[in-house]
Amino acid sequence: MANIKLLIVDDEVKFLESIARRLEMRDFDVTTAANGAEAVKAARAAGFDLALLDLKMPGMDGKQVLELLKKEHKYLEVIILTGHGSVDSAVECTKLGAFGYLPKPYELEELLAVLQQAYEARMKKKFESNQAKLDEITRLAIGSSPLGIMRELAKLDDKEK
Amino acid sequence: MEEHYRAFKRRNLFRLSLTYLSPLLVLIIYLYIQYDGLMQESNRLHLRAIAESQANTLDLFLEERRINLSNLIDDPRFKMPPSPETIQANLEKLKRASGAFVDIGYFDSTGVQIGYAGPYPSLEKRNYSSEPWYITLKHEPDEFIITDIYRGFRDQPHFTIAVSRFINGEFAVLRATLSPDRIHEYLSSLEGSQEVFSSIVNTDGYFQVVTEQLGTPLEQSNIIPPQNPLIGSDEHEGKPDQTTAAVGAGSNTYAYAWLRGVKWAVIVQSSSTTGGSIFSGFRLRIILTSAVVVLVIFLIINNRANKLVQWQKESDETRDQLEHAAKMASVGELAAGIAHEINNPLAVINEEAGLMKDLMNPEFEETETIEQLTGHLDTIQQSVFRCRDITRKLLGFVRRSAADLKPHDIHRLIDRVVDGLLGPELAVSNVEVIKRYGPDIPEITTDENQLQQVLLNIVNNGVDALEERPGQISLATACEKGKFLISITDTGKGIPPDELDKIFLPFFTTKEVGKGTGLGLSVSYGIIKGLGGKIEVESSVGQGSTFIISLPLK
Repeated sequence: MANIKLLIVDDEVKFLESIARRLEMRDFDVTTAANGAEAVKAARAAGFDLALLDLKMPGMDGKQVLELLKKEHKYLEVIILTGHGSVDSAVECTKLGAFGYLPKPYELEELLAVLQQAYEARMKKKFESNQAKLDEITRLAIGSSPLGIMRELAKLDDKEK
Repeated sequence: MEEHYRAFKRRNLFRLSLTYLSPLLVLIIYLYIQYDGLMQESNRLHLRAIAESQANTLDLFLEERRINLSNLIDDPRFKMPPSPETIQANLEKLKRASGAFVDIGYFDSTGVQIGYAGPYPSLEKRNYSSEPWYITLKHEPDEFIITDIYRGFRDQPHFTIAVSRFINGEFAVLRATLSPDRIHEYLSSLEGSQEVFSSIVNTDGYFQVVTEQLGTPLEQSNIIPPQNPLIGSDEHEGKPDQTTAAVGAGSNTYAYAWLRGVKWAVIVQSSSTTGGSIFSGFRLRIILTSAVVVLVIFLIINNRANKLVQWQKESDETRDQLEHAAKMASVGELAAGIAHEINNPLAVINEEAGLMKDLMNPEFEETETIEQLTGHLDTIQQSVFRCRDITRKLLGFVRRSAADLKPHDIHRLIDRVVDGLLGPELAVSNVEVIKRYGPDIPEITTDENQLQQVLLNIVNNGVDALEERPGQISLATACEKGKFLISITDTGKGIPPDELDKIFLPFFTTKEVGKGTGLGLSVSYGIIKGLGGKIEVESSVGQGSTFIISLPLK
């Protein structure tokens, strides 16, 4: 299995450094961002499987970043990490499409478990999507000209980005 | 607290009473005085009428007695010296005319009583030539005298009516004595005399005829009526006697009337039953009505005052509840803030500790140098100190109630902060401190540590706001309208308008993570509020900010 590509966003630089190092030691492919704008830029530059996102950050706050990431990256699963743990913000983040909500400080095992689940969820979603694409291709292949198939495939590719 | 409300009620009662009761009382007193004057006037007129009528009656009575005597001496059958039988018969005749006659006597020109009938036979043959009444009568053209009361030879109060004639060229006198008691009885029997005390005094104010309530005959009366006019009324000075005092108004009022036939005056004073019972009933009604009205108004006022106290209590309770709610809200805010601010460094500690564990785990085959490990431990310590900073400042919230209030020279207090505590740092960071202390600043009673903490927080913020060095921090003091003002102005970047109303909120900070707790200004705000003052801020972006602390002078 290829390394999971993970984006960690937090304004706490020391936290960022150590969590990144620990996850790298566990074979994650980690990229860090110290604020929202950096995170959005990084996500646009490279596709990530998963993102760990702090809520309270100067500039763009966590919820805005979450909304933007979910909009721009269909299969990206976002897990919220915050010290400002409250049920209200958890519900809100779930509504905005967060996969999980983990209050700081947490046990690494918890985080790893959530990351595992999120990755599986993403894979499942991607698989389903691929399946649908396959079905579509099959449908097109049966009823269309080779030129049409090419055109439709190009459209699907665009959609995926 | 209860005492506070009682005082509040007393104040209200007093104020309301003053407003509503005093005009009423003034009105009542005015009416009462008016009525009283009216009543006294009427009482006076009443007494005068009685005095006048009694004087007239008495005049008539004495005139009658004179005529009785004149008739006897002018009797053509009368011869000097009279026989004892004649004298006795004449006394009988007189007593039939009036019970006031006591005895009768005849005197010759030498003043010797040559004939007598009455209860004092020892008086016969006595020489009266040097008695004042005899001497006066001798030179009296009217051949008639009525004396004042005197005790005389018999040592009993009596008065004399005497007539003189020349019978056969000889001066002869017929005299009768009368008892003042009988005159008194006579006066008492007159109409209207039951309502009053009547007495008769002579020109020198000695009682001639008197009721025993006022005195005894020949006693000096406390009233000497004026000679002119003949009839009048007045206030006598001496203390009102007990019986008349009961009447209240008019107790010192008397009326008098001089007799025409003799230098006597009838004096009439109210007795306890007079003063007009209809008047005293009326007076009682005024007093009772006023009392009832005053009572009703007072009850209304009392009720109102109770209501006011209740409203005050309710509004106080509401305010307390609001304050409590506000406190609870800020505690909630605070708790959420604390959770976030402490959880973050805890998460750092957690990660660092976890990382070090991982590094020591042979499974990962990491080779970390001692220096690198120390770096992780330093991060842990820094995080711990961050937590400690937060908890320490939180204590500022808790402790602010126990202010240690002492008078302080405020300028020296400020100097200790900017020169002492911050001086070296300010110098190194190229910050110039400008002091513009106002003149005549009195000592301010405040808590030195708390105020220093506030100044420290604000000056530190000012220094942090200075982006361009060298920068300036100005401190100015002034007294204004019973308040002491300290302003701290920096020439820093200023505070954007949308952040101005947030700067005093707990955990609001624009500083980098780990640099500011967001508690400095909120703690300062709490401290100054606790000291009875307030902090205001003015700022414009790019120009700098001014914090103004105002504290009460007393």
